[in-house]
Amino acid sequence: MEFSPLISRLVEDLRCLPGVGPKSAQRMAFHLLEHDREGAVRLARSLQEAVEKIGRCHHCRTLSETATCPLCANASRDHGLLCVVESPADVRAIEQSTAYRGLYFVLMGHLSPLDGIGPAEIGLDQLETRLADGGITEVILATNPTVEGEATAHYISEMVHARGIRSTRIAHGVPLGGELEYVDGGTLSHAFAGRREI
Amino acid sequence: MSPRQTALQPAYVLHQRAWRDSSAIVELFTPEHGRVGVVAKGIKRPRSPWRGLLQPFQPLLVAWQGGGELKTLTVAEPQGMALRLPPSSLASGFYLNELLMRLVARQDAQLTLFGCYDASLRALATAKDEAALERTLRYFERDLLTALGYALALDHEAETGRPLRSAQRYDYQIERGPLPLAGDDEAQGIALHGETLLALRAQRLQGERERREAKRLMRAVLARYLGPKPLASRQMLVRPASARNETSE
Repeated sequence: MEFSPLISRLVEDLRCLPGVGPKSAQRMAFHLLEHDREGAVRLARSLQEAVEKIGRCHHCRTLSETATCPLCANASRDHGLLCVVESPADVRAIEQSTAYRGLYFVLMGHLSPLDGIGPAEIGLDQLETRLADGGITEVILATNPTVEGEATAHYISEMVHARGIRSTRIAHGVPLGGELEYVDGGTLSHAFAGRREI
Repeated sequence: MSPRQTALQPAYVLHQRAWRDSSAIVELFTPEHGRVGVVAKGIKRPRSPWRGLLQPFQPLLVAWQGGGELKTLTVAEPQGMALRLPPSSLASGFYLNELLMRLVARQDAQLTLFGCYDASLRALATAKDEAALERTLRYFERDLLTALGYALALDHEAETGRPLRSAQRYDYQIERGPLPLAGDDEAQGIALHGETLLALRAQRLQGERERREAKRLMRAVLARYLGPKPLASRQMLVRPASARNETSE
């Protein structure tokens, strides 16, 4: 069955969302048109406004509509600690589940030479300036435990050491509540290499 | 169409890029099929056993099916322990991968080169210093050129075919070979000492001068086959600006 051009366009446009195929796009379009036109207008306005106003925080590069994101502007946080992560989603994950009270630096990716992503693309020149400004006593490297994430962490740690600042890497190991038997070999060997005295 | 699954075979992951929502296109390097592009379906799902496995520098056993340019990965399991490349060796590892991605054709058997790659990664995993990393890269570049059919002339002069002399200076002209360089003559290609070529061949690249000359030679030769697009991983081999300033001061 053919839809009218406008409906087809809406369905097609909804497919730009991750995880949305033709079937779910169609369901979304019909839901909005049949049951929730008000919601659709709100969504359209939010999208419009978000795309126009949201840029990057000048301090940590995370997505923000203000030049300094609320987290960086918060005076009660420890401005001597800087945690380097790959994405804004990582910031959220750390904020929700740890007691970390320092600041962040969001790379928006990792070094990936084969994709042409070098130090400049992930804002390391900006990190360099940030380190040069002083006041930071420890840099916590919380990039993903992938080969690229490790390479990124190593690259940054050299920048950090050159300034005489302490750099630490988050620990990798067996998930809590997991069973050793089912943990993959790489994680287990990493956990063994990183064992500590109790 | 050949839907039949291939036999299990050794492989390394060269590169992985996201594809659709939960899958990835993985570029594998195998001995019998050379470079192979496969789709790893569902690899991005939280419970996928392939998530942590299909990483560069992990020796694997894989099988795939499908007859097109892109295959579908059906089996992937670790073949022994991952080669834990120390962070200081990672950039060199990426460099090897980028060379293979750029220069090796898909579906072209590379039995010898696969062995060289495996040995080079193992050498990178235990490399103690900058010099050891450099040596490993030079020997791999030499073997790569040989495998591609662009072998360097490392023991005899071009034209005359006379054996190279260690102390003699040569003008290495790409696709021709080394020509003796008399006195203060300007080299048209790369000026270097016979010892550099002999050491590169005998796998004994020790001296500072030989390493420097070998690097210049390889750069020039590879540039010929890589074309104008620079190698991105070289950027990473260069230390961060701040770390460099510190050591030079």
